[in-house]
Parts: sequence; structure tokens; C-alpha cells
Amino acid sequence: MRGGRALGTLAWSYLALTLSFLYLPLFPPFVFSLALPAGEPGGLGLRAYLELWRNPVLTGAIQTSLLVGLLTSVLTPPLALLAAMSVRELRAPRAVLLLLLMPLFIPGISMGLADAFLFRLLGIPPSLLTILIVHLLWALPFAFLIILTAMAGFDPVYLEAAYLHGAGRLRAFFDVELPLIAPGISGAATFTFILSLNETVRTGLVQGPWNTVQTYVWSTYLQVGLSPTIYALMSLLIALTVILILVIRPLLTRRSQRTASV
Amino acid sequence: MGTVQGGAEQVNIYSSAYSSASGIVRYALLAIPLVFLTVFFLLPLALTIVVSFWERAGFWMQPTFSLRAYQDFFGGPRLFLLRRGLSVAALVTALGLALAYPIAYFLCMHVRVKVSRTVLLLFTVPFVVNYIIRNFSWAYLLSRTGPINHALQALHLTRGPVDWLLFSDFSVLVGLVTSYMPFMIYPLWLALAGIDRGLIQASWMLGAPPLSTFLRITLPLSTPGIFAAIIFGFVGSFGESAVPIILGGLGYQLMGNTITSTLDVLNYPLAAAMSSIVVVVMLLFLGVWYLAFDVRAFLGKIVRWRY
Repeated sequence: MRGGRALGTLAWSYLALTLSFLYLPLFPPFVFSLALPAGEPGGLGLRAYLELWRNPVLTGAIQTSLLVGLLTSVLTPPLALLAAMSVRELRAPRAVLLLLLMPLFIPGISMGLADAFLFRLLGIPPSLLTILIVHLLWALPFAFLIILTAMAGFDPVYLEAAYLHGAGRLRAFFDVELPLIAPGISGAATFTFILSLNETVRTGLVQGPWNTVQTYVWSTYLQVGLSPTIYALMSLLIALTVILILVIRPLLTRRSQRTASV
Repeated sequence: MGTVQGGAEQVNIYSSAYSSASGIVRYALLAIPLVFLTVFFLLPLALTIVVSFWERAGFWMQPTFSLRAYQDFFGGPRLFLLRRGLSVAALVTALGLALAYPIAYFLCMHVRVKVSRTVLLLFTVPFVVNYIIRNFSWAYLLSRTGPINHALQALHLTRGPVDWLLFSDFSVLVGLVTSYMPFMIYPLWLALAGIDRGLIQASWMLGAPPLSTFLRITLPLSTPGIFAAIIFGFVGSFGESAVPIILGGLGYQLMGNTITSTLDVLNYPLAAAMSSIVVVVMLLFLGVWYLAFDVRAFLGKIVRWRY
């Protein structure tokens, strides 16, 4: 028994060590965002955070990011829901499932390049639309998995009950299933927003003249290097991401309360 | 996957309730995501391969059938990228797997479900925070004047700053492992959670020691998850484009950032050829995964398949 406990302690220490190693890189941007330009005495440097809003290119990028993020988070969950239903109802062949998961496995550069070729050959100029499409592709498999998880917690006996009471397929879906899997759907929407907000590589290949916050950070890094203002921007992005994850925590970790099984 | 009791009747309520005009609408709706993926994902990948056989012409390309791009790649100085890329990817995958498997195993076998879900969420945070930002941080943490070098000197472990921490194979490895490892935990956890505990108990009751139970029952049954994790880590780091720029230093090339620099000089066919190589590597892995395992087994825990 004592040996078991020692092993448990070892395992938890290993977990803690791995996690701290992974969390370590989240802190330096905050420290650097508060740094003052050399030779300026005193005070906590919140200046970088104020300067963010005076740079028109940057505020434009922030607007683009928020808009694309919102559109992605609105459009992806219905797509993912349909995908999850097609897997369930059409008894989808394994190939369909593989197709739905494939965007997870392909490197961003290959996916971005492939879509850039497509848009170029179709004559679609780089725009919000092209950025949105690559974000949808990237977010879809994650949303699909989250919604599939939510649906696994739903007992289809409820649907059967609805049909027996004369409800049509649509009615049964909207009145019975949707409310029960709604936490999973809003979880997917938020997660999708987070993914969109943090995407760089795919966006970079189809952005044209448009900037998102992430492509702005990347191109600034390549052209002139990082500054307190960029660190401030990164800090805000990290903070927003962590806050949103905390917000959806209950949606992702708890399954629907009213499930009869699982 | 194991059939759930009453499978046949449950299929009925899904697929046979309405099968007339509304059925067409239903199939049309359900096909939307698949059409979307076909048009904006499969087609573009096929297009990449087609374009890799074209020839460059001015600012764009000339449709033709030419092996020029592949001759450039395989016959030129870039061929080392293939070997380096494959070995870096193999190393990252092996390290990621070695780090992630114990975590997934422990969470799955020895921790209550509620706690393990919270811990998994803790691993999600560093995964979703943009990995480029995280790698900027590593560039600082590993630098000559960074905290790790300070600590090493303060502890008198080294005399001067250690140079190989940054702009080296080591730093690239740190960046890639921390970028790809967190997500490798999920398929492993899913596969492990899907294993029928009865089998493990049976092995125990038949007198097998824990290690042989693990080697002969748990490990083989978790292979679909292991394979999914391998594909994610291997293909991802093979095609990685940002980490070598941030942590590799000037001139450090991997497949991904070489594709980017090839695009900068407008050599689209060569970029397409290199990207095609990445895509083919991915397809090979996915093909093996598809043929060797039931892909659905990987989702065993979260989907109750009714067949």
C-alpha cells in the first residue's frame, strides 16, 4: 500500500512538473509588456497597453480578429453539429470520419498553401472570406469532437419518446435534443473562437492585405522585432484565452445532467 | 466498437423515421460539412499536388507536366531537409509520446474522472495559446542572458552561460515538443479510457503481474490512440514552419520554413512540391491508421456506436 502511495506522489509530481514546464512560457510576455524604454525612470509601465490603441494598423487587426473569431464561432458549431449528426445518423463510413478529423493532422503551412492555390485559381482575392474559410477548416474538427462528446451524453430514448408523442424529426431535435446538448454547442463555439484568435500560419498564407492580431505579431517580429507594445498585445491575448477557457470549463468538463446512461 | 445493447432498434429511430421528401432535405443538410471539407480541404490538397508539376512563369505558373520542382528538390541542396525533417519529427514524436503516455495512463487508470477532466483542461490552456507566442518566450527563457542560464550559473553548475540552449537542435526540440506534446495526450487518453476494464481485471485474476498486463493488454489496446498521437506529432513537426525561425536561429531550416522562403522568391511549383511531400507523408500515416485500426475505436469513449 505504501508503495502505491509513493508511486501516486511520484505521478502527481511528474504531472505538476510537466504542467509548469508548459505554463512557463505564458509569463514572460507580461513581464516584458511592463518594461519601460531604457533610461526612463520610475513607475509601472502600463504605457505599452495604452499605445496599443493608438496604432491604427493594430486596431484594424484587432477588429479583423474579433470579427473573424465571432464569425468562426457562429458558423463552426452548426457545421460541426451537422457533421456529428451525419456520423451518427448516416452510420458514416470510417472514411467520412477520417475526412472530418484530417484537418487536425495537416501542418498549417500545407493547409494554408493549398487553400491559397485554390483561391488564386478560382480568382477569389484574399479577404475576410478567405481568412474565415481557413479558420473554419481549422476549428471544425475540434468543434466536431466537442459536440460528439456532448451527444454521447444524450440518451436517444428521449428522441424515441418524442416520436411516440407524435413529434416530427425537426420538432424532436429542437425541443428535446438541442436543449440537452446546448452546453456542448456553446462550449464548441467558445473553443472555436479561441482557436481562431490564436491562429497564425494558415491565416498568413491567405491574408492578403488584411491583418489579424496574430499575423500582425508575426510580421512585426520578422520585420522589426518585438517591442513592449507587442508584448502587451501578446499578454492580452494570453489573458483572454485563459479567461475564455475558464468560462467554458463547466461546459467541457461536465456532461448533461439529465442523461440516463454513460 | 462494441455494440451497445439494443443496437438494432436504436438505429431504427435514427434512420427510418422519415424517408420521403424530407429525407432528401435531411441528407442535403447532413452533407454540408462534407461538401465544405471536400471543396476547401481535399480539393486544395489535390491541387497542391497538381501544381507541383507545373513550371514557374513570371509571377505565377505555367500549367504543364514537369518534374522540374522535384528534380530541384531531390537533386539539389535541399534534400538534407528530408533527412533532417524526418529525424527531427521522429525525435519529437518519441519524446512527446514518452512524456504524454504516462500522463494519459495515470489520468485514465488512477484518477477519478472528474479530476482527470480538470487536469486535461489544464493541458488544453498551453495548447490553445498561440504556439508562436509561447516559442517567443522560449527564445527568451533559453537565451544567454535568460533565467535558465542565470540559474545554472547561480547554482555553479556551469562557469559561463551555456550557448547550446538557444539557436540549436536542442532549442528547436524544446519548442516542438512543448508545441505538440499537450495535444498528444488526448487521443492516448481517449484510447485508454475506451479499454474494457474487465480485460485488465481478468489478466490480474489469471495471475499476470502488472507489467505483463500492461504490455500484453493495455498497451496493445491503446495502439489506435498511440497512432493518432504519432500522426499529430510527426506530421506537425515535420511540416513546422515557425519554430525553426524563432528557436533555430539564422539559416536553420526545416521543411515548413523552407516552404515559406520558397514562396518569398515566388517559386510556387517548388513550394507546392515540398508541401506535397508533407501531404504524402501525412497520407501514408493516415493510410496505415485507416487500414490497421478502426478509426472509430479512437473515439470509442465519446461515441456509443450503434451498429
